[in-house]
Amino acid sequence: MSAIIEVSGVAKTFRQPKRLPGLGGAIRSLFSRDYTEVRAVQDVSFAIAPGEAVGYLGPNGAGKSTMIKMMTGILVPTAGSLSVLGREPHAHRMTNAAEIGVVFGQRSQLWWDLPVRDSFDLHRHIYEVPEARFADNLAFLTTMLGMADYLDRPVRQLSLGQRMRAEIAMALLHDPKILFLDEPTIGLDVVAKDAVRKFLAQINRERGTTIILTTHDLQDIEEICPRLIMVDDGKLLFDGELPRLRAALGSRRRLRLEFGSDPGPITLTTARLVTDDGAAKHFLLDAEDTSILDVLTELGSGYDLKDVTLEEPAIEEVIRTFYQSKPQRAAEAL
Amino acid sequence: MKARAYAAFTVNAFQSRLAYRSAVWSAAFGDLVFIFARIAIWVSVYGAATSTMTDGVTLPQAITYAIIAGPVLYWDFARLLHDVGTAIQTGDVAVYLLKPLHYPAFLLASHIGHFLFELLLVVLPVVVIAGLTYGMVPPASLFHALAFLGYWALSFMMLFALASLAGLAAFWLMTASALEWFLMSIMTLLSGGLVPLWLFPGWLAAIAGHLPFAWVSYYPAAVYLGRLDVSQTLLYFAIGLVWLAVLLGALAWLWTRARHRLIVQGG
Ligand SMILES: Nc1ncnc2c1ncn2[C@@H]1O[C@H](COP(=O)(O)OP(=O)(O)OP(=O)(O)O)[C@@H](O)[C@H]1O
Ligand SMILES: [Mg+2]
Repeated sequence: MSAIIEVSGVAKTFRQPKRLPGLGGAIRSLFSRDYTEVRAVQDVSFAIAPGEAVGYLGPNGAGKSTMIKMMTGILVPTAGSLSVLGREPHAHRMTNAAEIGVVFGQRSQLWWDLPVRDSFDLHRHIYEVPEARFADNLAFLTTMLGMADYLDRPVRQLSLGQRMRAEIAMALLHDPKILFLDEPTIGLDVVAKDAVRKFLAQINRERGTTIILTTHDLQDIEEICPRLIMVDDGKLLFDGELPRLRAALGSRRRLRLEFGSDPGPITLTTARLVTDDGAAKHFLLDAEDTSILDVLTELGSGYDLKDVTLEEPAIEEVIRTFYQSKPQRAAEAL
Repeated sequence: MKARAYAAFTVNAFQSRLAYRSAVWSAAFGDLVFIFARIAIWVSVYGAATSTMTDGVTLPQAITYAIIAGPVLYWDFARLLHDVGTAIQTGDVAVYLLKPLHYPAFLLASHIGHFLFELLLVVLPVVVIAGLTYGMVPPASLFHALAFLGYWALSFMMLFALASLAGLAAFWLMTASALEWFLMSIMTLLSGGLVPLWLFPGWLAAIAGHLPFAWVSYYPAAVYLGRLDVSQTLLYFAIGLVWLAVLLGALAWLWTRARHRLIVQGG
């Protein structure tokens, strides 16, 4: 199928007048031609097919929210071209808005003083959702997200987890083709995070809603998004499936060998010794195609081997290595 | 356009105010104190004044003017200014851009809701109490009564446009409270809400009489009292409409600029 979102060579540079301190400074900066430039997104390209679920990952200030804002039409790219559902989002703001759903974890779209139900009802009018369709969606979302208890409470009284579920529900009431979520699990507890993740995965699977979400929580990506786009300093670092990232990084699996008694120092070619606690030794498997069998074969049968465990690296560790392996980052760290 | 959606905003603004019912009492009490104080001033002024100073206006007419130009026409535009200013400062205005909505139309719809709420729960009771206490004169004629209704709607729209313009200016000046203070001062001086234009020095009355602020309080109240004859009433209504068109044009233009700034510069 052809792409539902196409981003090619997109860049966003924020150009803001330099603010000088004090009142005099504030007045002078009104006329000043001095600008500070922030290159939030630089030359990013990717395409997303209908029905995909994509995680957009990167450290603070990497340009994730900026990218989401450009795709939702509330920011215009400085360079490059961007098409969502075949349209340039900011040039067709109204039509685009009607066909997408957006959730900003940091910014509520519900009406603060109104009961959740009334916010939903307003939403129905704004998006002109047919009554029957709306009733179906509302019933489905209320059950799925467990909102029945607080549907009639004003938004300002809700807990963060309740509010976030209401935000997500509202973004889906008009059957959007694409759902954009900027940090939807921020500040949620384990249970709420789990509920949100399961729900998003289900919506993506069963309704075929395309999902693009930014997050710092890697588990979000593991559970919802088969595909991962990683950015840093505004630039694209990686685009592909999570296992491929592991592979690309030379996923250094960790092997733990436990012996009945301390066998003394062991040196192997297939595995590199990292910690030696006598009877328990940890090795790193640097090569991707090394199997446990290779290691055990090299080790031979002369040892009193009690237990063998092989650990896949945690995804956090993979990402951390990835950020750290970048040369300029290493240089900054020194 | 989605008339139903905007009507829903009006209804919801009205309903959301019901959540703060206790605020009604303090608002009504504040308005009452204010109107009684102003009437007291008129009574003492009339006690000491000669007829040239009052321009042929009787005390009951002056009291009626105070009631109409005050609580009736002068609605709480600070709320509107504040809404816009906060939306800009917190960046929440972006949320409105995410929806298939026209923000100024949304503002208008919801502030009609606030206006109706205040009219029913604050203004009408205050007018009834003040009217029963001091007496109000009826409209000068049926024509003036009908014309007053038209002027009233014009007054609302004029104040809406002025307050929205000031609110949007917060995009560039980044402080809604200073703008609120500024607009409040100008309105107090030039709308005729506090002192009718016929008591202004001639040159100031000539200037103020042709600025849009006068359509907020002065002209509607003056029409009610029959201070304008039929042709003047129609003429000034037309001038008011021109002013309103200019202000709404400016509002549309400023909103386009603000939106441009928002989506290009990121706020
Ligand atoms: N309106 C703006 N004006 C100027 N600079 C901005 C603006 N919005 C974002 N930036 C800058 O652009 C860069 C990217 O910001 P962005 O919000 O996209 O990061 P992010 O990846 O979402 O970060 P986080 O994980 O902290 O949310 C940052 O350096 C930020 O300071
Ligand atoms: Mg962000």
